[in-house]
Amino acid sequence: MKDLKHLIYFENLLEESSNELIKQAQEEGDLAIGYTCYSIPEVLLNVDKCFSVRMRAPRTGSIDIATYYMSNYTCEFARSLLERSIEGGFNYLDGVAGVDACSMMNRFYEHYELLKLNEKPNLFVTHCDIPFKTEEWSLNAYVKQMRIRLLDVMEASYGVDTSDKAIRKAVEEHNEVCKIITEIGNMRALDNPPITGYEFHILNLVSYCCPKKLILPYLKETLKEIKERKPDPEPWYRARVAVVGSEIDDPSLTKMIEECGAFVVSDRFCFGSTPGREVIELNDEEDALTQICRHYMMKSECARWMADSKVMQRRETSDMLAKKFNADGIIYEQMKFCDYWGFERALVSHIMADEYGWPVLSIDRPYNARSSGQLRTRFQAFVESLEIKNIQGGKK
Amino acid sequence: MAKKKKITYLNPEIFKAKDNIDWKAQGKNLKEFGACCVDIAKTTNWKGYKDHMVFLVQNDIERIAGEAKDIANMTWAERKDLLIDGEKKLGKLYRKDAMATARREWRGVESTLIDFKYWLRMWGMLLTTFGKDLVPALNTTLHYRWMISYMCCVGFLDKNVMGQRGKALKMSHLMTYDIFRYVAENLVIMAKCDAKNGNSEELNKKIVLIDEMTMGQIIAGFPDLIGVPYQLFPVFLVSEIDQLTCVPYIDAVESFGLPADTCPVPSSECGSIVIDALPHMGNAFISSSMPCDGSTMASEYMARRFPDLPVYHLAFPVRYEYEETVEDAAADIKGCIEFIEKQFNTKWDWNHYFECMKRFNYETQLEINKWEVNQTAYPQIIGPSYELFRKWNYEMDGGCDPRVVPTMEKVNKIMLKAYQNKEEAWHGKMKYRGIVWSCPAHYYANFSNWLANCWGIDILVEMESLNYTRPLNTDNEELALQDLGKLYERMVMRRHTNGGYKNVVEELWRQCEIWNVDIIIMYQNVACKNMATLQGILDEQARDKGYHMIWIEHDLMDPRTVSRKDMRGKVNEYMRTVMKAEPVDPTLLEFDDEKCV
Repeated sequence: MKDLKHLIYFENLLEESSNELIKQAQEEGDLAIGYTCYSIPEVLLNVDKCFSVRMRAPRTGSIDIATYYMSNYTCEFARSLLERSIEGGFNYLDGVAGVDACSMMNRFYEHYELLKLNEKPNLFVTHCDIPFKTEEWSLNAYVKQMRIRLLDVMEASYGVDTSDKAIRKAVEEHNEVCKIITEIGNMRALDNPPITGYEFHILNLVSYCCPKKLILPYLKETLKEIKERKPDPEPWYRARVAVVGSEIDDPSLTKMIEECGAFVVSDRFCFGSTPGREVIELNDEEDALTQICRHYMMKSECARWMADSKVMQRRETSDMLAKKFNADGIIYEQMKFCDYWGFERALVSHIMADEYGWPVLSIDRPYNARSSGQLRTRFQAFVESLEIKNIQGGKK
Repeated sequence: MAKKKKITYLNPEIFKAKDNIDWKAQGKNLKEFGACCVDIAKTTNWKGYKDHMVFLVQNDIERIAGEAKDIANMTWAERKDLLIDGEKKLGKLYRKDAMATARREWRGVESTLIDFKYWLRMWGMLLTTFGKDLVPALNTTLHYRWMISYMCCVGFLDKNVMGQRGKALKMSHLMTYDIFRYVAENLVIMAKCDAKNGNSEELNKKIVLIDEMTMGQIIAGFPDLIGVPYQLFPVFLVSEIDQLTCVPYIDAVESFGLPADTCPVPSSECGSIVIDALPHMGNAFISSSMPCDGSTMASEYMARRFPDLPVYHLAFPVRYEYEETVEDAAADIKGCIEFIEKQFNTKWDWNHYFECMKRFNYETQLEINKWEVNQTAYPQIIGPSYELFRKWNYEMDGGCDPRVVPTMEKVNKIMLKAYQNKEEAWHGKMKYRGIVWSCPAHYYANFSNWLANCWGIDILVEMESLNYTRPLNTDNEELALQDLGKLYERMVMRRHTNGGYKNVVEELWRQCEIWNVDIIIMYQNVACKNMATLQGILDEQARDKGYHMIWIEHDLMDPRTVSRKDMRGKVNEYMRTVMKAEPVDPTLLEFDDEKCV
């Protein structure tokens, strides 16, 4: 297939914690609000003059100083963000929309404040409380937190317009991005798709890491290009896999899987497109904030949700995506030291295999996985096993 | 003098509930058990066993001869001291590769008599309690290996009072008695309810299983129901009695796929599910997100193992100090009450709840009185028995059991008397005032007792004791729900490790001031992410403030990661190199207790 016109540009945008589009937006007077968790509705960070930036620590090397502060058996994502902050990589942020949903990530936010790693005068760091269940009062609690601990803070710190009207406007722009990404993502269901899992991962990530208004023109152009793109005569992959699990912000992991011959057809991981790139449908009867919170609460696939319905939802979603995108197997992955996904992966990887009948590869991985020979071997072995299953006619 | 009214708690009818034992199944199990015994007998190295027995006898002879020689070499003053105040070289009680100490401790005439009296009382209570329905209780030992570990419970008691004398010894015994009674009663109830054992349908209808990491106060509003902290007995508590109990659980769940870096508490809970070590019982289960991320996830394993058991997930706000979350916690409590009402076809009884919480408030006041004494230059009520009692009283009992009040009153009375006499819990040993912080391992390792006996570090208080002390509302239903929510949010551990670093870092410095401590025993559970992520900050701030902070790595109930010996080694090293101190009892510096319960 012909290379995508903007792919290298997109890759370059993801090479640093900041990028030229972020700088451009800030020069135009916009405010960069960093966040790490789906539980913070991304769209709320895009109201008025604010724009959301999904915090990553690309090309992470040593995390020794962060390890001194947070010890070595803790989430490498949180530690890498701290290390990057200590290096000055997040100096540009005007605010950090944090949640106290996962203890290790919350400690990163606390260190960010405590070690005074960003001395902007109006900088804010929030610690929003996120419910565990989906009761009606859980929704009220969620709405309250987003109003008091996020929107009011944004308003108080920078005079941001957080009115219903401003939120609805942000939703419109958000939906535009979601529609494009979803349309591109759906092409992965084709037998001979005009896009690879790696390319999709890049496109999806830039949509999280760049100001929406500045990345939108590029995404629109890329969608048009992909629609017209001619795939190779024969599909390039040997097997199709759905990836399910904890946070992956490193497209080189997807690249590694694909180098082993497995086409990543679905990305059901934190900051993949499911959840995250679903259109938010708003009605006029209810306030936008409540509807947004409900959307995020119901769509979230985080293992932290305890409600039985959410536990089942996670399994059903994995199954549904794997079926929809014609996967041959599922890779259940977990970032090392992640408690939520550690427990979830151990249990559900068995359930998906035993009860849903999917071939499953269950892995834990470092934050920076690009150089892991061990993982590469496991992916290769999984692809071979899927091929053998297909040859033997044991395909689900 | 008016005769004291006998308090009857736990309706005697509970123990009379009809069992429905499937004797055919029991016979089958007995046959399997017998086959295991035969297998063990066949595979045992009998020669090795005989050699070991010979070694033990020789070792005993040498020990007795050595002790006789020591006494012969003593001055008359030393002999008098031995007679009155007991022995001082406690390390000699340990024997390599032995599960129990070589002999009981000689505490001096008076304290040995006290010890013996309470030892007898304890056995009396245990036999009476198990005698209430002996068959299923005994039968449990044929179904669950953790039950065998409870046979060592009196050894656990001995271990926890090692080196204590006089009033301190008496107080420890009194408190431990109440805990043991609670455990014994619950074990009988569990045996009666277990589908594989007593299978009492009548009793199961009344059983609310509560996650062991959740407080028990909610059951105070349901006087006709029985709350059982489900995993407490097969997992958490028994691992404090026998350090090797949870090892098979952890191995099982790690073989299943759970990463080894997770906290051993939820790991062990899940492992006990994997190897089917939990009795099949109860009519509903209250799970919980507390105190940490691992516990949140363990609930999924429970729901999977017992799909027919209706579950309510108690999941309180993590940022519990935000004023706006108070009503959210109350809503969850209310939801839980409604769930129990529906599940058991019963009604929440406000009068009974208020009565229990009045008692709990009084108990909290008695607890604060203890703290006031311990903050002085003459701390009285310290040691593992007290630490365990505080935790149990706050978390499990929660004012439900009226028999606890007289115990606490009695203990406080003794404590004040000892304070007036300026006594020491460990006679003549106190050199340093210590505080324990972070997830403690002292029960598993009998650590605070060892600190006092070996180095004279008296642990005045531990993080897990310092919880919610405000009186709970006892007259307004709405406020009472809010208070109960606040209490639950501040459960043991969660009070400090959740809600922001200030609750555990700044709180530590505040408590150090209040208790006037010299040394901080900073436990470092290698798998506790909430605490591990603050390691650098704690270290830096302790240095700035000039505190002696001894980091002690451990892995809670998995002694293979960090052994008790390694834990003690950390203190030995710090005391020798940094403090340039001399041990109070050098025989306790190095000893082998890898297999000792």
